[in-house]
Amino acid sequence: MIGLLVFKERLKAFYGSYSFYLNPVFKFISSLTVFLLLNGQLGFMEKLKGAAIPLALSFLCAFLPLSAMSFLSAMFMLAHLAALSAELAIIAGILILIVVILYGSFQPGDSFLMVLTPVLFFLRIPYVLPLAVGLSCGLFSVLPMCFGIFIYYLLIYAKQNAGVLAGTAAVDITQKYMQVLKSLFSNETMLLMAMAFVLTVVVVFLIRNRSIDHAWTIAIAAGMVVELAVIFIGDSRLDVNLSIGEVAAGGLISVLLAFVFQFFVFAVDYSRTEFLQYEDDDYYYYVKAVPKIAVSAPDVKVQRINQRNEP
Amino acid sequence: MLNEEKIKLMTGIAMFEKKEGKKIFPLNRYFKSDYISSHLLGAFFGYTLCSGLIAVLWGLYHLEQLLNSLQVDILLELSKRFLLLYLAGLFVYLLITFLVHQRRYAYASGGLRVYVAKLKRLEKRYEYQNREKEITKEGVRHDRSSGI
Repeated sequence: MIGLLVFKERLKAFYGSYSFYLNPVFKFISSLTVFLLLNGQLGFMEKLKGAAIPLALSFLCAFLPLSAMSFLSAMFMLAHLAALSAELAIIAGILILIVVILYGSFQPGDSFLMVLTPVLFFLRIPYVLPLAVGLSCGLFSVLPMCFGIFIYYLLIYAKQNAGVLAGTAAVDITQKYMQVLKSLFSNETMLLMAMAFVLTVVVVFLIRNRSIDHAWTIAIAAGMVVELAVIFIGDSRLDVNLSIGEVAAGGLISVLLAFVFQFFVFAVDYSRTEFLQYEDDDYYYYVKAVPKIAVSAPDVKVQRINQRNEP
Repeated sequence: MLNEEKIKLMTGIAMFEKKEGKKIFPLNRYFKSDYISSHLLGAFFGYTLCSGLIAVLWGLYHLEQLLNSLQVDILLELSKRFLLLYLAGLFVYLLITFLVHQRRYAYASGGLRVYVAKLKRLEKRYEYQNREKEITKEGVRHDRSSGI
């Protein structure tokens, strides 16, 4: 444990000194993952499929705020969908617009969840998300999270029905819209996941705010139990095909990840180097403020004062 | 001459500006009522636009039914129901907008008070420094005149 704590302190110090370079690198890697996943899963537009455009877009995202990544990946997704079926792209576009206007107008700063949720679903560890959201965000963050779930099932729908959607068979255009909307909104797996995730966020959020010992650990455990319970009950009641083994394995990995996040990310205040500029009557000041973090090496001595006498 | 204490104060203020500035200064330019009402107005238009978009989606979903049974009284009934839903949703959305922006304004005014307190401290520091300078000057004058 002490080794881990020292490692955490070292990490903090490292981040404090190099955050200026680390942040763009993180952003670049995460946006590249998003674009490559979209290309791999959808890939309907040939022009976007090469490595050049994802690389260029990720480079751009590296130096822009996180919301730019959400915007660019939404555009990227819409372009792929438009290449497949205009109807689907129009519906997706309208829904994204509604969310942007109604929710985005509050500038909540958690729009990245809309991108992160589908990515985690593709990586098969979506169950960590409600734990992380409950631990680190507010209750309102369930909205972008639920929209992210919707986006994931929309992508899956597009991928699975690519043939039907792209086909120019003599399907009436009104029927096509109806079909797409019906399949998107009446997807029971999606509704079940959204319900499980929202309940988990609420449980985790409520427990971690209690002033009890180990609140965060209890919150993670309780959240996972609720999440799996809702999913399993829903799986048996509704017409949903989920592989129990996969959900259980995903849940287990998610709990581990949640503990790792709790230890290294959420409970730590990662102060970083700040660059400030100001002036007074006599000088211009360009200040680089580096956080002071002392890494103390473990110094533990166990001294036995009296030996226990075994009878 | 660099004054270390002044630099510390100014760095603190600059850090505060950088971290909290975005949440404080744009709001500070408005009165509370103006700030909230401008957001309510924006929310009204945004919500109306979204309701239109949702109506379009709903229309696309039921297009066939609508085209098959195009009757004035059905349309009237539908629009009445839509209007009712629209008004109820509008009320809820505007209420949320109101509460959120009221809280943000309260946060910003609290932050501004802290900022002003920091500036006052800096100002006092300036005054102190100026007085110190004047006293030293007077001292020099006195020394010259008295020849000590």
